[in-house]
Amino acid sequence: MIPVNYLDLLRLAAPETVVLAGALVVLGVDLLALREVETGLRRLLLLILGAVTCGAAIAWMAAFPNLGNFMQGMLVVTPLTQWVKGGVLALAILTLLLSGGASFTNHWGEYVALLLLSAVGLMFLVSSESLLVIFIALELASLSLYILAAFHHDAPESAEAALKYFLFGSVSAGFMLFGLSLLYGLSGSIDLREIAAALGGPFLDPLLAVAMVTVAVGLGFKIAAAPFHLWAPDVYQAAPPPSAAFIASASKLASFFVLAKVLSVGMGGLEGRAVFGDYLPGWVPLLAALAAASLLWGNLAAIVQTNVRRLIAYSAIAHAGYMLLGIMGGKAGLPALVYYAMTYGFTTLGAFGVASLVRDRVGGDNLSDFAGLSRREPWMAFCMLVFMLSLAGIPPLAGFFGKFYLFAAALKTSSLDLLWLVILAIGMSAVSLYYYLQVLKQIYVVPPPSGLAAAPIPSLPKTVIILAALTVIVLGCAPNLLLRVLAAP
Amino acid sequence: MTADLLFYLFAACTLVCGFLVIANPFSLNPVTSAMFLVLTMVFLAGLFVLLHAFFLAAIQVLVYAGAVMVLFLFVIMLLDLKAEERRRLKVFGITTGLIAVGAILFIFLNTLAQAPLGASTTPELEGTTMALGKLLFTRYLLPFEVVSVLLLVAMIGAIFLSKKELK
Amino acid sequence: MAEKLDQIFVQAKHELVRWLLCHVPGAWAEVLSALLSIATLLVAFAALFALTTLLERKGLGRIQNRYGPNRVGPFGLLQPVADGIKALTKEDVVPRAADQVVHFIAPLVLVVPVFLALAVLPVGRNMVVVDLDAGLLFFFAVGAATELSVFMAGWSSRNKYSLLGAMRAIAQMISYEVPLILSAVTVVMMAGSLSTVRIVEVQAGFSGWLPHWHVLTPWGLAGFLLFLIAAAAEANRCPFDLPEGESEIIAGYYIEYSGFKFALFFLGEYIGLFAVSGLAITLFLGGWTAPLPFVQWVPSYVWFFLKLLSLIAFFIWVRGTLPRLRMDQLMSFAWKFMLPLSLINLLAAGLWRFLPEGLTRWAFCSLLLAAAYIGLGRSLVQRRNLGRRTYRFAE
Repeated sequence: MIPVNYLDLLRLAAPETVVLAGALVVLGVDLLALREVETGLRRLLLLILGAVTCGAAIAWMAAFPNLGNFMQGMLVVTPLTQWVKGGVLALAILTLLLSGGASFTNHWGEYVALLLLSAVGLMFLVSSESLLVIFIALELASLSLYILAAFHHDAPESAEAALKYFLFGSVSAGFMLFGLSLLYGLSGSIDLREIAAALGGPFLDPLLAVAMVTVAVGLGFKIAAAPFHLWAPDVYQAAPPPSAAFIASASKLASFFVLAKVLSVGMGGLEGRAVFGDYLPGWVPLLAALAAASLLWGNLAAIVQTNVRRLIAYSAIAHAGYMLLGIMGGKAGLPALVYYAMTYGFTTLGAFGVASLVRDRVGGDNLSDFAGLSRREPWMAFCMLVFMLSLAGIPPLAGFFGKFYLFAAALKTSSLDLLWLVILAIGMSAVSLYYYLQVLKQIYVVPPPSGLAAAPIPSLPKTVIILAALTVIVLGCAPNLLLRVLAAP
Repeated sequence: MTADLLFYLFAACTLVCGFLVIANPFSLNPVTSAMFLVLTMVFLAGLFVLLHAFFLAAIQVLVYAGAVMVLFLFVIMLLDLKAEERRRLKVFGITTGLIAVGAILFIFLNTLAQAPLGASTTPELEGTTMALGKLLFTRYLLPFEVVSVLLLVAMIGAIFLSKKELK
Repeated sequence: MAEKLDQIFVQAKHELVRWLLCHVPGAWAEVLSALLSIATLLVAFAALFALTTLLERKGLGRIQNRYGPNRVGPFGLLQPVADGIKALTKEDVVPRAADQVVHFIAPLVLVVPVFLALAVLPVGRNMVVVDLDAGLLFFFAVGAATELSVFMAGWSSRNKYSLLGAMRAIAQMISYEVPLILSAVTVVMMAGSLSTVRIVEVQAGFSGWLPHWHVLTPWGLAGFLLFLIAAAAEANRCPFDLPEGESEIIAGYYIEYSGFKFALFFLGEYIGLFAVSGLAITLFLGGWTAPLPFVQWVPSYVWFFLKLLSLIAFFIWVRGTLPRLRMDQLMSFAWKFMLPLSLINLLAAGLWRFLPEGLTRWAFCSLLLAAAYIGLGRSLVQRRNLGRRTYRFAE
């Protein structure tokens, strides 16, 4: 019998426990105490309760930085995972506050609880090195996100998007489970480090190649990389905006982190080489193919989009391509990857916020609905400017430094093997500028349609958007603030 | 010897029934598929028995063949699904599917040929309830707990999505 | 002498196996032994089935102020034989639209698993077909097949009454399976084993004149009652016989069955009732153990079957006196009363396990359960779920 220190587990999993307890409290309070309360007040109370819970978890992590490893990789807490979890929680808080002005549902208790539970799933995903926990946590997060995507009860598009998300998600989860079981069969362990030790390298067993590809399919779905991206445009466009924002930001951050962990920790030594003429099978060529496909397809398809949220979706696919470069950078690329994924999360969240405000106001979020936003809402227009330019990678915003560090990390490893991919990425960045500027042209150049009644903007989402923009600017001007702590051992 | 024979019997039955679930040449009725799924689950339970995992076998039958499948059938019945019309098979789908299956089959056969599997090893621990329980509450405590949260989410989701707004 | 009488069947089986081994290879010993046990079990329970049909009709007749069957044989004792012959000779009608294969398999899917479930019941000392490590789970697992059979019967008949009956039956079975298993779990917690034999052994023994039966503890009593109610619902016995409510949907899922297949359904239902009653006896009433120290000389199997017959008499009595529930009452009773109460019972059993022996734990557990019973019962009545139904769309 294996001795277990339950207190140890509680100490390590305290942030997750806090958020989980918060979710249960939210459900209970909503059911027992707030039934008769008017919807607006109820929504506000629940959202604040949820945000306070996330804040408490962050505060706990800051106050009691317990590091350790529970049961051979079941739960591994390092400073880096703490930061990523903090990022997930911060994005959750912003998402919650962003929902402040929304009216897509009356079931706010369930909404907040599911958001918190998906955050719990993402946190476990980040801090585990065991295949079992990774899979279960992934399912926990995904399941909550499927439901969040379907939360707009009156909109058939929302249900359609959620169904697509669910079907693609369950099939890719099946692929991933198949791959994980092969990994377990090949190595006899579910712990990533032991797997790496058992698999060795650099020779690639064909069965291992199957495992690698199927795991990449499963996680490629979560990060919306190119051949597995089909759900993303629909979900980004049709899901309730805060849900879509959370799917695009926090879920992506955690999924990228776990993909990097599975590959660089669990299959360290099986990198292979993605150079023409000197090709060696492994996961780097696999990711290089995914990255190239995502970069090309995401950027080119975004050009023809007329809906801003759909456009952001295609740009998200392209960004998945950039971030895959960071994973190929190996362990040294990890801080750059996390930095990029975090700043990208804040940027997308903000962009979704603005799109949602425009939608509430004008009744749609097509490009033409943004016409003349600068004259109606100068502040929101400026925030959108910041987000779009950051996504395009214009200095001094966070997006520029993110890309810079990613490319540097990809080039630093393995003697310029990935130069061709980096050149492709830089070229595609230039292409992306076109469609981001399309949005800005609508906002700043095209005159607004006449006859739009002025309506006050809810203050909570507005604050969130400004906060997100500020984060993007500050992290862009002083990237070392975050990078230094991420790179600390 | 008997165990080997039974293994091949159960495995073959599982595969055949699994095939009949998705591609039954005799009936396109979803209910028939569901019933073959029940059989698949029962034969899987048989495989568990051969591994001396009686607890898992019983749970497999209880949960899958019992509860889950009955709910499946219930949903099929309530949705009043008609027999599926024979779909026109798309050449593209068939070709890519066959290529993928063929490739994976080739890799598996190749691997099997390269490394002939050794004599089957005896399971590390007998699948007794006691041993399983101890593992669940020590080594696999964390996944066990996370699964409970997962089930909570599924429950909230099912209720939320299926409940009609009556106002 | 008492010992010899107790083990007479076990000894007989051993002798028979030894005699048979003179004629067949020795490797067959286990198979022969198992076959003999199974054959005995089949005969015994089939005979009990015949007896019970008669008892039930007689008992119901008496409750309803009439005689019941009294024409065939002395006191109508041969009535089951007459019934059997009638069922065998009747024409087997299958609706033209029915799914022939499924329609044919459904009664078999019911009968085979319920007989399988009997295999783990210890009907006497050393008298169990198989002693599985997960015997209790095995029982519930094969019991799950009844739901499947009901569905197959209801769906394959292509008859709306069958389908309605099947839907009712499945909804009911799934709902009541939860409290059924949860109340059995308390016993597993106490015995520390899922093996039915072990569970009976735990209850063998006396403090003074009181046997160590689980039913004589607060959690055991609550568990027994919960189990019995849930068992009645699982076996579709009155007052939970909505799936076959004659006055509403004729005969429910087996409306399109006739002749021998109908008899098989009938048999399956009764054997299911015996099996679940036998499990209640094993879990809570001490299985084959004697109720008092000075009657231990009576053979163990006699006690088991006496207990079984009294439970059957109880079920007949209930059927004769209680009216049928309504569907919504049935559901709210399962989910709003049975389920929470069985969860609280689980808690009470846990407390019982860890509190020191003595009056305090008696008082504590009893109070907890009584408070839960009163609270849940009141809330159930107050929410008017058991009151007059208001219709949202009709009226």
